Amino acid sequence: MLSTFYYTSQENLMFAEQRTQLSIYANDHVKHLKSLHHYFPNRDKYPRSDEYKSAIYDIERIKIFSTLENNHVNFDKEIYRVGSKIHFVKYLNDYYLGATYLFIEIDEDRQWHIDTILRIMGFGTIGLLILAIFGHFFVRLFLKPMKASVDLLDNFIKDTTHELNTPISAILANVEMMDRTKMLEKNIKRIDRINIAAKTISHLYQDLTFLSLGHNRTSNDEWIDIKALIIDRVEYFSVLSNSKHITCNLDLENSKLFIDPVKIARVIDNLISNAIKYNRRKGTIKIVLRENYFSIKDTGIGMKSNEINAIFERYSRFNSTEGGFGIGLNIVKSIADEYNIHIVASSTLGEGTEFKVNFPKGNSNAKNS
Amino acid sequence: MLKIVKIIKIVLIASLLFNLSFAETKPKKEENLNIYEKECIPCHKYFPASLERMFMTYLKVYSGELTLKASLKAFLKRPDIELSVMSDMFLENFSVKEKSKLSNKELDEAINIYWDLYNVRNKLK
Repeated sequence: MLSTFYYTSQENLMFAEQRTQLSIYANDHVKHLKSLHHYFPNRDKYPRSDEYKSAIYDIERIKIFSTLENNHVNFDKEIYRVGSKIHFVKYLNDYYLGATYLFIEIDEDRQWHIDTILRIMGFGTIGLLILAIFGHFFVRLFLKPMKASVDLLDNFIKDTTHELNTPISAILANVEMMDRTKMLEKNIKRIDRINIAAKTISHLYQDLTFLSLGHNRTSNDEWIDIKALIIDRVEYFSVLSNSKHITCNLDLENSKLFIDPVKIARVIDNLISNAIKYNRRKGTIKIVLRENYFSIKDTGIGMKSNEINAIFERYSRFNSTEGGFGIGLNIVKSIADEYNIHIVASSTLGEGTEFKVNFPKGNSNAKNS
Repeated sequence: MLKIVKIIKIVLIASLLFNLSFAETKPKKEENLNIYEKECIPCHKYFPASLERMFMTYLKVYSGELTLKASLKAFLKRPDIELSVMSDMFLENFSVKEKSKLSNKELDEAINIYWDLYNVRNKLK
């Protein structure tokens, strides 16, 4: 808007400069018209000039004669630009040869136009830069309290999760170190419950730290023995599975994958944890490992076909009878996407669910062996 | 002295008759004249201001075709010294013409012929 205003004012300034000269031309032309009117028809040559072109129109705006190069005339403006010409209109008091309107036409000097456009672009760029600097400053000023709140919350979560790690690790380490042979049967059961509870919290802690800190850590990919990892994690969760009398059937072949150990552990932990959590008592978990994939199948409650599509969404839980935040499978999905791992979930309601994790080509042991 | 005056009168009348008899070498027959030639020229040819100069005066005052024709027609139907475009000197000597006896149609026809005869459009070079 400012540039339009500036352009218009520059145009008016140019018109003001031209108006004086055009008025002189017009008055000169009127004298010639007066003379021609007096001697017409003995003289019938319309007056012409090398400096300007002209046209005369009668009171009904009908053309009488014209030498204009651009005949797009405007009766409502005193001076205006048309194409590369400037037209000046003079209203005559005496209608010599019947002329009421006299149009004077000259070539427009385009230099003012180029200068004005260059100035608008220059000042516009400077203005935009100043606005951008001010905008950046004000946005930072306004966002500062919000950023402080987010940082505070982030630090709180980081500190809390860090503080949780030490006592959980202490509980788990001490439970492992206990000599079960000297315990009474009822105390062994109590210790097992403590172990299960601590491992559940530990698993949740691992997920939360991955969500809050995992995005900032860089991946340390290496060749991981998936068979050994699955055996280790099954052993880790054995206390949980035993508590529900779940049998784990392992059909594992050797397989290696080039991946971050923390991330593949999160994938396996979450899938085994879910297989235990949503399994029925005295059910089974079948884990199959082949060169290019592994699958975990439970004999649990299963899911409806429409629910399978949403299982990887964060905070989605289809069974409120079990605890959890519904973030486990979302973490699995994000890791799978990062490493181009294709996960296929299939489920039958009342029979169980199977997750098949297909390794990406080039990252599995086919290349490594 | 009286003889000299009589001689002068005779000479003047004779010269007038002579001039009138040679005014048009090939005069049109009465039935071939248009309304303008029949109703306007006979009177106007005695005025010092020709019909052509009168037209230019009208053009200078009224500019456009429609405006000029309408104004001229209104004046011919109801002549008024206030509406006349002629100079004061002309009006002092010849006064204002009498009201036209032509019908509207005849007036329109005569004025159209007058416009076509003297308008400047298409005549400027």
